[in-house]
Amino acid sequence: MSDVAHEAPVAHHEEHESTGIENRKLGMWVFLSSEFLFFGALITNYLLYSNRGGFEGVYPSEIYDIPFTSVSSFVLLMSSLTMVLAHHALSRHDQNGARTWLFATAALGSVFLGGQVFEFYEFISVYDMTLSTNPAASAFYLLTGFHGTHVAIGVIMLLSLWGISRRQGGLSERQGLNLELVGLYWHFVDIIWIVIFTVVYLLSVPPL
Amino acid sequence: MSPEGHSHPTPGQYWKIAAFLAAVTAAEVAMFYIDRQLELGFLNAAILILLSAVKFIVVVGWFMHVRFEKPLINRFFTAGFVLACSLYLVVLAALGVVAIRG
Repeated sequence: MSDVAHEAPVAHHEEHESTGIENRKLGMWVFLSSEFLFFGALITNYLLYSNRGGFEGVYPSEIYDIPFTSVSSFVLLMSSLTMVLAHHALSRHDQNGARTWLFATAALGSVFLGGQVFEFYEFISVYDMTLSTNPAASAFYLLTGFHGTHVAIGVIMLLSLWGISRRQGGLSERQGLNLELVGLYWHFVDIIWIVIFTVVYLLSVPPL
Repeated sequence: MSPEGHSHPTPGQYWKIAAFLAAVTAAEVAMFYIDRQLELGFLNAAILILLSAVKFIVVVGWFMHVRFEKPLINRFFTAGFVLACSLYLVVLAALGVVAIRG
């Protein structure tokens, strides 16, 4: 047991030499690749039910607030910029810059989440469209809710990295890789929203 | 410098990329309102999907650094995307949604 523990760092080194890519980084890319199937299922589910008529209640496509969602989309898009600037700052050993941009990314992510909570609140309280109103509403809440959950997890990871950096006065090389992995996850959440914004909001079709 | 030898963008270039993405988003929203007036139908859908694809590619290529990474990463990511798109397009076509919407 002690031999294994002693040799572990060498084995770890050899592992990521075989592909030329750090294992954790490759793992993140594989995970993100599999997430396409997850979100693809939710988007397909929405497309199947979004305009299927014959059900009671308000349909999501009838009550979308496009200007509001456009601003939310812009905010999330800009959070990708702040994320990449955090990564760039750390690669230049600018710990203060990395910390500032990390916090900015978490703040923009929180603004996006706040917008989503407001949208859900308005749909439920003003239009009485709940999760069980009709299949279109269920599919809408399922898709955007899961995306929002991903954003929330991203914000938690960003704030964790920011907290570690603040407490330790900077991020170590290993933690720097964590920042890169969180960055990949964050950009992925952004590209999924790019698809959702177009397919769900801008190409919305009224119920048949 | 990336493993492939390409230089990553500078902060100034990242800001320019973000401005481009913001402009494309504005164009998407403009298309939404133009379609409401002119009822472009399929043309509107095609333009919106194209603009969305441009944003997608720019974020993946420059912000996620796929352009500067090893080809293996590109292959993994593209494989997942193509598999998901193919699978769900078949599902949508089989259930008649593509025909209904198109």
